[in-house]
Amino acid sequence: MKLAGFKSVDGAHEDSIWAAAWVPAADHRPTALLLTGSIDETVRAWQPDDLAVASPPAGGHALGVVSLAAHPAGVIAAAVSIDSHIRVFDVDSGASVTTLDAAPSEVWGVQFHPKGIALAAAGGGSGSVKLWDTEKWQPIASLPVPRPEGARPDKTGSGKFVLSVAWSPDGKLLACGSMDGTIAVYDAVRMKFLHHLDGHHMPVRSMVFSPVDPHVLLTGCDDSHIHIYDAKEKGLIGAMSGHASWVLSIDVSPDGMAVVTGSSDRTIRLWDINARASVQTMSNHSDQVWAVAFRPPGGEGVRAGRLASASDDKSISLYDYS
Amino acid sequence: MASVYIPVQGTEEEVRVALDLLPTDASDILDILKAEQAPLHLWLIIAREYFKQGKIEQFRQILEEGSGPEIDDYYADVKYERIAILNALGAFHTFLGKAERAPQKEAHFKDATQYYNRASRIDETEPSTWIGRGQLCVAKGELQMASDSFKIVLDDDGDNFPALLGQASVYFLMGDTEQQHKKALELYRNSLELYKRALRGYADCPAAVRLGIAFCRYKLGQLDRARQAFDRVLQLDPENFDALVALAIMDLQTNEAGEIRSGMEKMRRAFEIYPYCTLALNHLANHYFFTGQHFVVEQLSETALSSSSHVLLKSQSYYNLARSYHSKGDFETAGRYYIASVKEVNKPQDFVLPFVGLGQIQLKFGDFKRSLASFEKVLEVHPENCESLKAIGNIYSNLGENDKAIETFKKVTRIDPKDHQAFVELGELLVESDWAAAMEYLKTACILLRKAGEKVPVELLNGIGLLYFEKAEFELAEQSFKEALGDGIWVSIMDGTAGSSMVNWSVQYRDQSLFHQLEENIPLELPCDKVTTLFNYARLLEELHDTVKASHLYRLIIFKYPDYIDAYLRLASIAKEKNNIQLSIELIGDALKINSKYPNALSMLGSLELQSDETWLTAKEHFRDAKDATEGKDPYSWLQLGNWNYFAANRPEKKAPKFEATHREKAKEIFLNVLKQNHGNMFAANGLGILHAEKAQWDISKELFTQVHEAASGSIFVQVPDVWINLAHIYFAQGLFQQAVKMYQNCARKFFYNTDATTLLYLSRTHYEAEQWQDCRKSLLRAIHLAPSNYLLRFNVGVSMQKFSASTLQKTKRTVDEVRATVSELQNAIRVFSLLSVASTYHSHGFDERKIDTHVEYCKHLLDAAKVHRDAAEQAEQQTKQKLEVTRQIALADEARRRAEEQRKFQLERRKQEDELKQVMQQEQHFERVKEQWKTSNNTPGKRKDRSRHEDEDGDSGKRRKKGGKRRKDQKTRMQYEDDEEDQYRNEPEEDDYANMTRDPGGDKPEKAPDHLLAAAGLEDSDAEDETGHSQSVMERKRRAWSESDDDEPVQRSVQPTSPE
Repeated sequence: MKLAGFKSVDGAHEDSIWAAAWVPAADHRPTALLLTGSIDETVRAWQPDDLAVASPPAGGHALGVVSLAAHPAGVIAAAVSIDSHIRVFDVDSGASVTTLDAAPSEVWGVQFHPKGIALAAAGGGSGSVKLWDTEKWQPIASLPVPRPEGARPDKTGSGKFVLSVAWSPDGKLLACGSMDGTIAVYDAVRMKFLHHLDGHHMPVRSMVFSPVDPHVLLTGCDDSHIHIYDAKEKGLIGAMSGHASWVLSIDVSPDGMAVVTGSSDRTIRLWDINARASVQTMSNHSDQVWAVAFRPPGGEGVRAGRLASASDDKSISLYDYS
Repeated sequence: MASVYIPVQGTEEEVRVALDLLPTDASDILDILKAEQAPLHLWLIIAREYFKQGKIEQFRQILEEGSGPEIDDYYADVKYERIAILNALGAFHTFLGKAERAPQKEAHFKDATQYYNRASRIDETEPSTWIGRGQLCVAKGELQMASDSFKIVLDDDGDNFPALLGQASVYFLMGDTEQQHKKALELYRNSLELYKRALRGYADCPAAVRLGIAFCRYKLGQLDRARQAFDRVLQLDPENFDALVALAIMDLQTNEAGEIRSGMEKMRRAFEIYPYCTLALNHLANHYFFTGQHFVVEQLSETALSSSSHVLLKSQSYYNLARSYHSKGDFETAGRYYIASVKEVNKPQDFVLPFVGLGQIQLKFGDFKRSLASFEKVLEVHPENCESLKAIGNIYSNLGENDKAIETFKKVTRIDPKDHQAFVELGELLVESDWAAAMEYLKTACILLRKAGEKVPVELLNGIGLLYFEKAEFELAEQSFKEALGDGIWVSIMDGTAGSSMVNWSVQYRDQSLFHQLEENIPLELPCDKVTTLFNYARLLEELHDTVKASHLYRLIIFKYPDYIDAYLRLASIAKEKNNIQLSIELIGDALKINSKYPNALSMLGSLELQSDETWLTAKEHFRDAKDATEGKDPYSWLQLGNWNYFAANRPEKKAPKFEATHREKAKEIFLNVLKQNHGNMFAANGLGILHAEKAQWDISKELFTQVHEAASGSIFVQVPDVWINLAHIYFAQGLFQQAVKMYQNCARKFFYNTDATTLLYLSRTHYEAEQWQDCRKSLLRAIHLAPSNYLLRFNVGVSMQKFSASTLQKTKRTVDEVRATVSELQNAIRVFSLLSVASTYHSHGFDERKIDTHVEYCKHLLDAAKVHRDAAEQAEQQTKQKLEVTRQIALADEARRRAEEQRKFQLERRKQEDELKQVMQQEQHFERVKEQWKTSNNTPGKRKDRSRHEDEDGDSGKRRKKGGKRRKDQKTRMQYEDDEEDQYRNEPEEDDYANMTRDPGGDKPEKAPDHLLAAAGLEDSDAEDETGHSQSVMERKRRAWSESDDDEPVQRSVQPTSPE
């Protein structure tokens, strides 16, 4: 289990890069694409192997892109910017598909349903997860995060700012994380709140379900820890520490064996899920690493696993995972 | 029955005197002797008989009478007998002199000398006199003179038996006193030679002569032959206890169980033969000391004491007694006996051991000065005795004379470069002053121990680990700790086999079930000498950010040692770092249950309470308790109190301004006091700087901050991010925006991994003041990205965009792109403001809707204006483009024509150029017109002016808004506090580690933390300012520090809508 630096592009954006997502290969396009979003208000697309520019930068993402998600079919993607608009666009042409917003609430992290039937967005200050269907782009649900039992009344309301969302690979569970560390799990089929997952008390900026075990949820938190939960049984089953600062981004390898995290401490760490131990630390970035993402399996000429990372230092990097 | 016959004068008769029936009164015999003028040899015989019977007085009486002047006269011719009597007296006094103490000793020796002198006067060649003199000199310790005397005899008669023996003993004694080993051996050899000669001459001499041979052999190291000789003595004289004792000692020295047993058997026999042989008694006592039979030791020693007058042997007996009590732990009695023993010794050279014991006892009682004196006595005899040197080194270090202590231990290492103890001591002495040297010494100690095949003690490895830790050499530190800990349950915790089976560990910090489960399978062992190391290892793991494993270890410590208070505090600190405040407070509560006066726990509790609205008042109590618990000596608790006062001064509670001033005054007083006691206390200086800054005394505060900044930059342990912030604030306040920006940026990068939204807020404010709108906007966007739920930031970003747009529109010259950017920025601003406006319906984020609406309206208005400009500008651009195109074509045509009509075109061309110029002029005029248009369109709405004024008034009176603003401020403060305190406690218990390993924590480190508070508080103030800087709602608060810079802002703003003249 290791990462090997493969290719890096400095100055990939004019300024800090905050988001990255892989667009899977599609019928019309034999390879996956890497999307990156930046404070420079653009989203850019990159070829998966040489990081060559795939299409001209798409502007208009006012105030900076904070989150990116690609539809599993590999045709469209969604970008969220600080102006709280979700801009859904055609990956290849860059043409706008639709622009969503959940006004008055902010929007932060977004994720497509594994089958692509819905888009979930962390609803910021509304303290809820917003869902749209991907056919007509109509809102289908707003799932509020209930106050955990015994918690003290939240005077400011900012505590329940929902930051991150994740779908389980079977589409049955939906989880979201918030500024105060609250994690809520929903039954994504019945659209019903199930329970909270305890253990974090600081912002949970990134979360992901294991691709091989649809119950296992991994979270990255400002408390520098990575927690491993059984999202179904409501249990913390592991914790890993080692980052010196916030864990900003987290992703699981397609084989479900490894976790990769990007942190404010400027490093990327590779973790062995089973051993609950840090295996490798990459220090190639010189500022906060806001995004790490494994390329989804499939597509032409894909042999090894590949990881992409993006950082405040304006660079993006590719790694071979083996 | 032996008898002496005294011939009766003038007759043939003799008086028979039965020697065993000598009268008690010697006068009777004397009378007879005198009356019958008996030959002098009879006198001698009778005197000697008295002596044999122990009737010393009678012996003396007869001999003294027999050496009187009358006798000299009467027996003038009888030389030999007279000499014999004198010599006998001389020998007698010599004997007394040997046994007695000064001053009688001297008197006896003097008498003896006189008798020998008289004997010499009768016949100076008489060998026995010289032999007697020789013995006298031996007794007086004048060995050289003794040797001379014996030599006189031996020169005459090489086989003179007594002289041979005498000289032999002189050589022997010389050998004993000789310092140089080689020479001493030579002397023993000489002695042996003489004894042999004596023996050859008189084969049937007393067994004692053979003792001499035996002792010489012994001294020469020929142990087997010595043993033979002693055996021979015993064959001849089975009762000779000297030989027995000597053989016994030799047996004992073999150090083999069987031999020792037979040695003790011999001792016991000697003891039975002669129960008052002090040497045997002492040896027996010594033996029983080692077998631990202290009662016997005491009995024997006391017997020895009562049976001997020999000072050295007595001293030894006392020593045995002392040692016995010493080992029984009765130090006082032991001390008394050591003193008695020491008193018997004239020179430490004779018997040095009691000085060692006495020194140890004195050390035990903390009587360092006396102890030092005792050990120095030892050093007089054995200047290179490492044990005593080490004891002295310890005394010096106890007396705080570290330099001397270091010097002493260094000497030990020079004498014995393998003395690992000395290296350890040196290492520990140098820990604070010289890291590299300390490391070197401890490592050497380690290597020595390893070479010697000994186990390196846990403490030593722990010390090395800590040193590495201190130098941030974490890997090496980890190695040391691991080696110190060896194998144990912690290994499986570290490799994850034990920890991963843990369920809900972070939720249930206090859940010990894992250990109970583990204990069912294997016994959980944590030897007490390893607890400290384990704790330090956990601290190291924390430093390496592996808090999961660190907390497992802390919990293991608590499981085995539920009173290990620092482990609770570390867990509390970890919980706090994870923002689990409730758990943190509970854990501190557990710690306080163990020790309700534990200052660290109290301080920690206080600072946690400070963060909550409900408990901030009780925080003061806990700070005060902490201060009292440390008897006010700990600057840290003082600083916390100072900070509390500062904090209280800035609390938004309703209170008279008077109280605010009192709190400030109090804080200042405390900081000053701390500074007085610890000149280098950065945190107190920082706090003072803040107080000065609040009064706008920039120069003083800048000076203070700069100094602290420099000091903190030079240290790898003390991190004071707040002073960077404070210094930046000062730059800002003085209008040095560039420096301020640099300082903020460096601070954010250096200390917070760029994750601190508050610093970005300061940064944006600086850019704002410097009118760098784009930078301002970007800083705010970064801050929002970090803290998306902070609506203040969103509001500010709106303002910054509005400001940018307004200022762009005010410019006299601007490009179309600029105007376009203005339009989109205004759209963004409107979006931001409207989102805020709607959000305020369900969030109390502290902004007044109406105010936001005002902003929205204003932006919309600007947008309209901007759109017009944009259109106009675009139109103008279009026209310019067209014209340029025309021009270009004309130019092209020109060019063609020019080529065609090369020869004559110059003048014509010039005319054309003039035409072009005219066109450009026209263009400019057009621009001017556009500007005019813009101005007029802006000038119209007079009602807006009113509104802005209304807004200001509203700001002043709008209490609701004000409250909102303040609440937010508190919130922010709270956030800040949390961060700061994390640092604070991360550092704190480290000192406890140090304390654990006997290193004095000193007063320096604890200050580290509190000032985060300070700066936090300081920041908070400017924070609030910041807010006011952008939002007019809290305008009235501007009276304070930052007033200058802030004041022009509202002016600008209120003018804005109508401004451009």
